[in-house]
Amino acid sequence: MSIKSAGEITDQAYKQVLAELLYQLGDDDFVLSFRGSEWLGLCPHIEEDVAFSSITQNTMGHATMYYKLLEELGEGTADELAHARPKEERKNAVILEEKNGEGGYMDEPRYDWAFTVVRNYFYEAAKKVRIDSLKQSSYSPLANVAKSIGREQYFHLKHWEVWFTQLLSSTPEAAERMNIQVERVWQDFGDVLSLGPSGEKMAEFELIGDEKTLTEQWLKQVGSAFKAAGAVMPEGAPGAVSGNGREGFHTEDLTQALDTLGEVYNLDRAAAW
Amino acid sequence: MVDATYDNQVDQQKYQQFMEKIEAGGKIEADDWMPDDYRNALIKLISMHGISEIMGALPEKEWTPKAPSLHRKLGIMAKVQDEMGHGQLLLRVAEDLMAPLGKNREDIMEDLLSGRLKFHNVFHMETKTWADAGIVGWLVDGAAIITQTNMLDSSYGPYARALKRICAEEVFHAQHGEAIIMALAEGTDQQKELIQEALNRWWPALLMFFGPASANTTGSSKQDTTIKYKIRKNTNEELRQHFFTKYVPRILSLGLTIPDETIRYDEENETWIYQQPDWNEFKQIISNNGPRSKERLQLRRISHENNAWVREALGARRNISAV
Amino acid sequence: MDTNRENIDLFYEEFVVFSKKNPNGHMTEQYTLLAPNAELALMMAQENFMRREPVSDLWVVKRSDITAVKPEDREMLYRLDNKDYRNTKGYGYLKKKWREKEQEMFDEKEILSWAKGVGK
Repeated sequence: MSIKSAGEITDQAYKQVLAELLYQLGDDDFVLSFRGSEWLGLCPHIEEDVAFSSITQNTMGHATMYYKLLEELGEGTADELAHARPKEERKNAVILEEKNGEGGYMDEPRYDWAFTVVRNYFYEAAKKVRIDSLKQSSYSPLANVAKSIGREQYFHLKHWEVWFTQLLSSTPEAAERMNIQVERVWQDFGDVLSLGPSGEKMAEFELIGDEKTLTEQWLKQVGSAFKAAGAVMPEGAPGAVSGNGREGFHTEDLTQALDTLGEVYNLDRAAAW
Repeated sequence: MVDATYDNQVDQQKYQQFMEKIEAGGKIEADDWMPDDYRNALIKLISMHGISEIMGALPEKEWTPKAPSLHRKLGIMAKVQDEMGHGQLLLRVAEDLMAPLGKNREDIMEDLLSGRLKFHNVFHMETKTWADAGIVGWLVDGAAIITQTNMLDSSYGPYARALKRICAEEVFHAQHGEAIIMALAEGTDQQKELIQEALNRWWPALLMFFGPASANTTGSSKQDTTIKYKIRKNTNEELRQHFFTKYVPRILSLGLTIPDETIRYDEENETWIYQQPDWNEFKQIISNNGPRSKERLQLRRISHENNAWVREALGARRNISAV
Repeated sequence: MDTNRENIDLFYEEFVVFSKKNPNGHMTEQYTLLAPNAELALMMAQENFMRREPVSDLWVVKRSDITAVKPEDREMLYRLDNKDYRNTKGYGYLKKKWREKEQEMFDEKEILSWAKGVGK
């Protein structure tokens, strides 16, 4: 099965499930790139600040590509989708919306680099697994976007993998900080790997592979990094103790994110900025 | 070309060769012999320039996560990223000059945090609204481009090379700032108001950016040394005048009002007449007593200290793998 | 003939040569040569590769000291061409807008012309 464009979709159920998937993909990249933009200027050293910002920009670019696909489905403009949707309509995983650490980016930002490294590495690994699967998506525009994103994302995964393995295998202090974050991110990484209530339908429509297979691939990918660092991977599959973002559950951290990223946009939604 | 500071004939000769070289347009490299006051002037100038880029990222960064569209978010992120990148290029140049004195990046950061190393007056100011981010991108960058292009032919090779790349990227910065301002200037009444207010707030700081016309104004000025050593071409006042020539007509063309009723071009003397900013305030600002000095330094301090464990961990790891 | 030549292969250390034509330029990778150490490599570099052109500075770097991207990792260098927001071409529309206001665009040519300095 292959659908070449939005205009070719006749099955409303297909369209709905496709939109659901695109919201997950777009919202994940968007909210994480927002968190990345908060780090700008505050990284452990200047060279990393510059490198990280490119990844953040690329990731926001990827979110934009997914939102454009939603735009083609008649869901609204990319800017509306990014800025104007209320919290309960967001489909991103909860761990991705969480603040970078205590404080705000303008006020006493005690951001946690270990958290950022672990979250980003785990996320990029999951993103790669998803992208590889999406390359065979029955919806060709999505398969094409996946092919583009996949190439650029290679560096993102590599970048965070190097940080992850190096910090995990350096000083006892760093290893301890990293392990605390591994444990924390692990217990909430479940909804990144989840495809939400319509997951089975997504696989049926051949939009993306099934959740179980994708999760296994992710475990394998991440497992090899733990091994390279000589560290122990937590047992069992990751949980979703803070709730499942795919089902519209979100924390106060997302409220802060939406208030901040929409502050100027909301001054006048009709104006051209 | 005899400099009284050299009583020793060998040094006097080196000095003479040095001056002949730079007056013929030659470039000095990090390992070349250079007069102490040349090295000191460079260290002071370039470490301040570099750290100002790093501190300068902060005022616009405040609006980066808040930028009003995906395109604007990406644009300003790329712009602030470039500022960090410029800081990187410049600090590397300064660090090479400081290496013989046993100082490195950590020392530069410590100097900033202790107040020994100053940063540009404009980056002590508040960015109150999105329009302030626009004014910074347009006019503060405009002023910075005027001063930076003036040093593109600098006698110090590593600085000239860094500036070459920086100025090429500044072309994007200039246009990025203009794009934000243009959208506001052509927008709603509220948007137009935002931008006029921001211009009013920033005007005195923009004039101060070029520094005092002479040492008489504030008690110190390095411009004579930097011109003598061919690090730059023009005086502070000449650069400020150049800024007026390039930017005043553009500001007016957008329907904005310059918050100085006296400003006018005197055709006869080919000079802009304008209201001087408060140079005592300038001294206060660059002594870290500006409206946002403490907060911005605090941000830098937290980031520096909070992440020290990362540098320590990978510094230690380097020792381990080197064994 | 003495056949005891245990170190003879160590003579052939590989060095990459970098040079620049003028002081304003950047170091450019040239070619590689074999020499037993950096000091000798530096003595041979210019005559091997730049004997007909001016050289203002010269480096030799031990090949094994260079960390390169692995062939299988070359993909990490790929970037999407969707970044108009960070290039001047994404702001080309300003030219027309400034014209409407009887102003010129500050393009690369204009801005870099400021390097000449003023009033001289």
